[in-house]
Amino acid sequence: MKVLEASGITKVFPGVTALDSVDVSFEPGQIHAIIGENGAGKSTLIKCLTGVYTPEQGSVRIDGEDALKNRELFDKVAYVPQEIDLFGYMSVAENLFLPYEKSGFKGLVNQKELQKAAIPLLEKFRIPVKPDALVKDISVSSQQLLQIARATVHEEYEVLMLDEPTTSLTTNDTQILFEIIKHIKEENKAIIFISHKLEEIFALSDVITVFRNGKKVAYADIHDVDVPWVIKQMTGRELDQNQTFLSEKVSDSVLMEVKNLTGEAFTDVSFELKKGEILGFSGLVGAGRSELMQGIFGYLPVYAGSVTIDGKEWKLGDTSFSVSNGFIYLPEERKKQGILPVLSVRENISMATLDSLKSGLSISRKGEEQLAQEVIETYDVKTPDTDKQIQFLSGGNQQKVIIGRAMCCNPKVLVFDEPTKGIDVGTKTEIYKLMKQLAEEKNVGIILISSEMDEVQKCANRIIAMYNGRKVGEFNAPAEKQDILSAIIGVSK
Amino acid sequence: MNNEAKSGNAFVNALRKSNMTAIGLVLVAMIVIASVTSPYFLDIYNLQSLARDLAFIGMIGVAQSLLLLIGELDLSVGKIASLCGILSGIMMVQWGWNSWLSLFIALICGLLFGAINGLIITRLRLNSMVATIGMQGVYGGINLVLTKGKAITGIPENIYFLGKGALGPVPMPFIFCIIVLVLILFLVKRTKTGRYIYAIGNSREAAKILGIRVDRIRVLIYSLVGFISALAGILYVARLGSSQSAIGENWPMNSIASSVIGGVSLNGGIGNPAGALIGAAIIGIIQNMIVLYGVNVYWQSAVSGFVVVIAISFSSISEIVREKRARKIKVG
Repeated sequence: MKVLEASGITKVFPGVTALDSVDVSFEPGQIHAIIGENGAGKSTLIKCLTGVYTPEQGSVRIDGEDALKNRELFDKVAYVPQEIDLFGYMSVAENLFLPYEKSGFKGLVNQKELQKAAIPLLEKFRIPVKPDALVKDISVSSQQLLQIARATVHEEYEVLMLDEPTTSLTTNDTQILFEIIKHIKEENKAIIFISHKLEEIFALSDVITVFRNGKKVAYADIHDVDVPWVIKQMTGRELDQNQTFLSEKVSDSVLMEVKNLTGEAFTDVSFELKKGEILGFSGLVGAGRSELMQGIFGYLPVYAGSVTIDGKEWKLGDTSFSVSNGFIYLPEERKKQGILPVLSVRENISMATLDSLKSGLSISRKGEEQLAQEVIETYDVKTPDTDKQIQFLSGGNQQKVIIGRAMCCNPKVLVFDEPTKGIDVGTKTEIYKLMKQLAEEKNVGIILISSEMDEVQKCANRIIAMYNGRKVGEFNAPAEKQDILSAIIGVSK
Repeated sequence: MNNEAKSGNAFVNALRKSNMTAIGLVLVAMIVIASVTSPYFLDIYNLQSLARDLAFIGMIGVAQSLLLLIGELDLSVGKIASLCGILSGIMMVQWGWNSWLSLFIALICGLLFGAINGLIITRLRLNSMVATIGMQGVYGGINLVLTKGKAITGIPENIYFLGKGALGPVPMPFIFCIIVLVLILFLVKRTKTGRYIYAIGNSREAAKILGIRVDRIRVLIYSLVGFISALAGILYVARLGSSQSAIGENWPMNSIASSVIGGVSLNGGIGNPAGALIGAAIIGIIQNMIVLYGVNVYWQSAVSGFVVVIAISFSSISEIVREKRARKIKVG
């Protein structure tokens, strides 16, 4: 019995075939993982399966009926998007049951009734908040779980589609989520699990489908395959999972010295960064790592403490000063803080170095084009041309543009905040290589903030653990995973 | 030969990509319809008065589009214009100052009023719409205190040509409008500041992380808008031959409407200031046609409002049609 079945679907966008006659089907009581590199066609598939896109060819059947003819059937597919998409200024209960008609509340809405109905759901999903709390005030983890709970509230869903549900969850909450998903599976629902994290896929799913370049390239029972197989299917080549990317040219001279820095979300943090070093920052979501770096960068206020870079007293609170003096921050929120979405790739690249492109008052178009071409070649950005709006590039390519742009400013210190969030395995490795190369060849001091233990261990020469805004440990590579883990969850030795 | 074909193609491509193309076609269509249906439309006197009228909204619209590009707007443009007009009148008539000096000082005042708007909005982190609603009350109030609502007459005749005169067949205000447009297009399309304006409109956070001094540029734009408002104000004084507090009553709304008709997004980051002039021309022609057709006075406002709504819809309708057509091509 297939509850959701797509056969032969093809979806074409100007210049690309996003999906090429794909057959895929989902059974109740099964967790079906979908994996593929960025741009492999996963998002397009999701949109076809949820009725957002209509494929040019092929059919989507739900419960055996043609859903493209009877669109109401798409209501049976509950989709949980990757980004948190809740109403911050409404209560938890309201968020759970909106739109009310679909969750069985007809006519006037009684807040008390809503809140009462919310309690069992909050218990089921183990969300430790009160139903009348405002969503903006609850933790990111709770929001993520709430978003999933919300998808299951609406009557008659039979397929639950989770798009990267663990990106903003702590390790502990991820475990909770997995138990919940397994529970839902026992209710005989079909679950579609989309993730870049191979560990999680192997821990959770029953079957796996791999996409590459808009085609379905493999389907297997998860018990019959292993990690290298999946990577090979995804990338079309073999990748060494144990390869490390530590910088081998760490100099002895101190590049940056941070002393007793205190701000809103971090307290009394001191550390040093050497030239050519990759310094990892480990911690849970909300440990204050990003805020600390944004403080040094000048984006967030600093209350006390000092920063010295290259022997020079650093001016805090001015991003413009930081950028022009060689401290560059590459934000985690790439879409909101990194790219300028409707500007072209060329304009995105040149934006930080317009001064050097000026001829007289105006910007030299030729110089700008040349710079863009250089960055595109050096960092292997895949784009049809420099005029393409950057929002249409894949996440990995956007990240490469941002890195390339940063390198044009001749940085001394480069902060990578979760540089591989939402980026596939193949491109991840490219970014690791790039960091290593920048540290070794350009003598840049690199700070890597990452929630993936694996990533920090592979890349960082030294790891600083943070918990609740404070520095709680410092480890030289190779460090034991267990030690770092206990430090970042606040268990001191 | 080959090169020519290429550049032709590039031009066609640019036209196809631009969101101003649709509205440009609407403007052409309106001109054709107006000239076919009314024998007076193409009359040189009518065209001159049309150009003179639309120059004011055009100028302010082009300025306003800069603010829309960073996702903000200024509702005090009309009051700044009339206050600067009044100030120039006071200097010229009541204090007997040199006309040119007076006009220059009035322009500087406009720049300052704009800067005040910008500083209040950036420093106190206010919403631009609400803040400028407040400020237009302040500027309008000062205006009333200074004039007690009376017009200042007896403006020196040596400045009349700025408003009433023409260079060849082209009215002076329209020439100023074109100069403003050219300078602003240069600012926006060719300079660093222009790029920063688009960057801020795309994402204020990303702009700050790129090291752009976001607030400084915002204040700069408000000042520029104040300056251009003052320019429009004093040109209007020269046109009327008197300073009146009623100058610029509907400029804020019309300038925003012209920008939006011309394809400048209210959310920031998208659009071209030249679109605002096309938008102003469309509004101007609508009002002109209403007069030429002899529409009942009481109906004029309703008709012109309705046509403006249709004009605004044009760019989004063309978008909808394009999407539908793309879908059909793919399915078929």
